Amino acid sequence: MASLIATGLMGLGGITSRHNSYAASAQEKPASAAEVKIDNFSFGPMAITVSVGTTVTWINRDDIPHTVVSTDKVFKSKVLDTDEKFSFTFTKPGEYPYFCSIHPKMTGKVVVQ
Amino acid sequence: MHPFDIKAALLAKHAQHVVLIHFPIALFIAGVVFDFLAQGVKRRTLAAVAYYNLLGAAISVVPVLATGILAWQFQLEGQRLKGVLLMHLVLGWTSAILIWITWGMHARARRHVSKGLPIVRLGLETVAVVIVGLTGHLGGFLSGVNGPS
Repeated sequence: MASLIATGLMGLGGITSRHNSYAASAQEKPASAAEVKIDNFSFGPMAITVSVGTTVTWINRDDIPHTVVSTDKVFKSKVLDTDEKFSFTFTKPGEYPYFCSIHPKMTGKVVVQ
Repeated sequence: MHPFDIKAALLAKHAQHVVLIHFPIALFIAGVVFDFLAQGVKRRTLAAVAYYNLLGAAISVVPVLATGILAWQFQLEGQRLKGVLLMHLVLGWTSAILIWITWGMHARARRHVSKGLPIVRLGLETVAVVIVGLTGHLGGFLSGVNGPS
């Protein structure tokens, strides 16, 4: 009986240690990232699909200032001059439409799955 | 936005500034042109035309400044400006002050006919037209009038 309990505990210990190693490997995996380029009064790509936890970075390659503002007020950048960046990490699935508040006809969308 | 969509133009939080700005620019430049003509041909009628154009510019610049500041507060939540936006703000205020000074000189001359207009005003008006033009250029650049439709 005692040997059975000991064997069971050892087995449980093995499962726990395997679980911990999986968790560790997940933590070590770098977070995914995506980039949206702002140029010539447009966001490129205009729509981007990413997975939960992805950090999207917008970089202004235009020669005039722009902003990145979520239509649903989820995120909002300061005014981005040329070559300035803004990043946001999406932690919930859904659709996130956004626009440039200086040029409202500039629109884009992030789809988080 | 459709150019004749009145409702959208009135409700858009920063659309009014880019519409109204054309009035003081046009009135001021026309006023300066008539003032130069009046100086050249010595006609009081042209001087009067110049004065009323400058008066229109001096008045219409007030709502332009107000809507510009409101656009800054609404669209950018009053955040600290830099680069082209800051330059546009500084040049805009400079233009407004020069327009008011120019109109003030003409108004003063009309009240005191014996004194007449100082010839130095033509230099000031030339500088003002250049600064107004530069401000408008930056404004057009910022609003994306040359961008893809």
